[in-house]
Amino acid sequence: MSNAPGDDRRPAPAQPLRSWDLLSRLSDSAVDDDYARLAARRESMRPQAQGPGRRRPGWGVGVVVVLGLMLSASALQAQGSEPAEARERSALVDQIEERRTSISRSTSTLQGLQDEIAALQGDASSAGARGESLLDTVERSRILTGSGPVEGPGVRIVVDDADDAATVEGGTVLDRDLQVLVNGLWQAEAEALSINGQRLGPTSAIRVAGRAITVNYRPLTPPYVISAIGDPDTLEARFSETAAGQSWFQLESNYGIRFDMEYVADLSLPGVPAGRLRLRNALQDRVAR
Amino acid sequence: MIAAVGLLAGLLLGLVLQPSVPLALQPYLPIAVVAALDATFGALRAYLDGIFDDKVFVISFVSNVVIAALIVYLGDQLGVGNQLSTGVVVVLGIRIFSNVAAIRRHVLHA
Repeated sequence: MSNAPGDDRRPAPAQPLRSWDLLSRLSDSAVDDDYARLAARRESMRPQAQGPGRRRPGWGVGVVVVLGLMLSASALQAQGSEPAEARERSALVDQIEERRTSISRSTSTLQGLQDEIAALQGDASSAGARGESLLDTVERSRILTGSGPVEGPGVRIVVDDADDAATVEGGTVLDRDLQVLVNGLWQAEAEALSINGQRLGPTSAIRVAGRAITVNYRPLTPPYVISAIGDPDTLEARFSETAAGQSWFQLESNYGIRFDMEYVADLSLPGVPAGRLRLRNALQDRVAR
Repeated sequence: MIAAVGLLAGLLLGLVLQPSVPLALQPYLPIAVVAALDATFGALRAYLDGIFDDKVFVISFVSNVVIAALIVYLGDQLGVGNQLSTGVVVVLGIRIFSNVAAIRRHVLHA
């Protein structure tokens, strides 16, 4: 190039001007040089050539038509792409709105479900409390009716005829004595009782059949072992305060009837026999009425 | 005059027919249009200068369009399509500007 440092004899122009050089050269060569060159050649060859604008239109018109086509096509293309973007945008906006409403709907559903859960939990806990108290009642009833075996601390009382029962009047343990003893233990807040392994339920009877004392219709032989489950701290003391305790104290001291009471940490009593749990009674005949 | 009618006819033809540009050529159409505009304004200036020539116009038009599209295509392949098309538009824009300025001088002073 002419700007090479070796042959640059003129004073170098200021550096920033060079870009202006480029620009001015650009605008100088805005028209194709061929026009001027061809015109010059035509001038030299045919000085009598017709003036500009007199020439008949040829390919140039076709080119201009093509230019119009291109202009309109690209304008249409530029416009056509805009509505597409707008459509996309509005579709996205619609989607956003839709998702928002669905989110708010889900949120309200969630809120409702949470309320429902809270209400149900309250219900469940109250039902659980009710169930717990019912279970307590059932358990207490089960113990008191003797429908099942029970275990627990309590006292064991061994009662037997006096050694000289065969000769001395009143030396034998009677069914009445056992009834008194059992009632005294109930009074002393015993929870479950058994005599010789026969659990005492609400319908159990202690009575004499022939020479033997029966409980639950089972004959017992002395010595009579009475197991009582209850509060071991208070059972013995309370029993001794009852009338039954007093009367048994007299029996022991007056007639030599054996009475031993001992604390047992772990008693286990069977249930009342199944036949003793059912209460039978006559039914009125509805037809006859 | 005939050229103006031709331009109008082309515009109307495009608007009526709505030609669909092939997808592969779509990115190059705008730059080609700018190049065509440059060639046309150059031709108009040459016409006013009295040195217009049909053949030169056709050749410059076609070569302008093809070269502009090729440059942008090349840029696209090299990953500088945007920058190259910006450069082409700047150069062609300057040329159009100076041509239009010359035409204006012709028209207003003639």
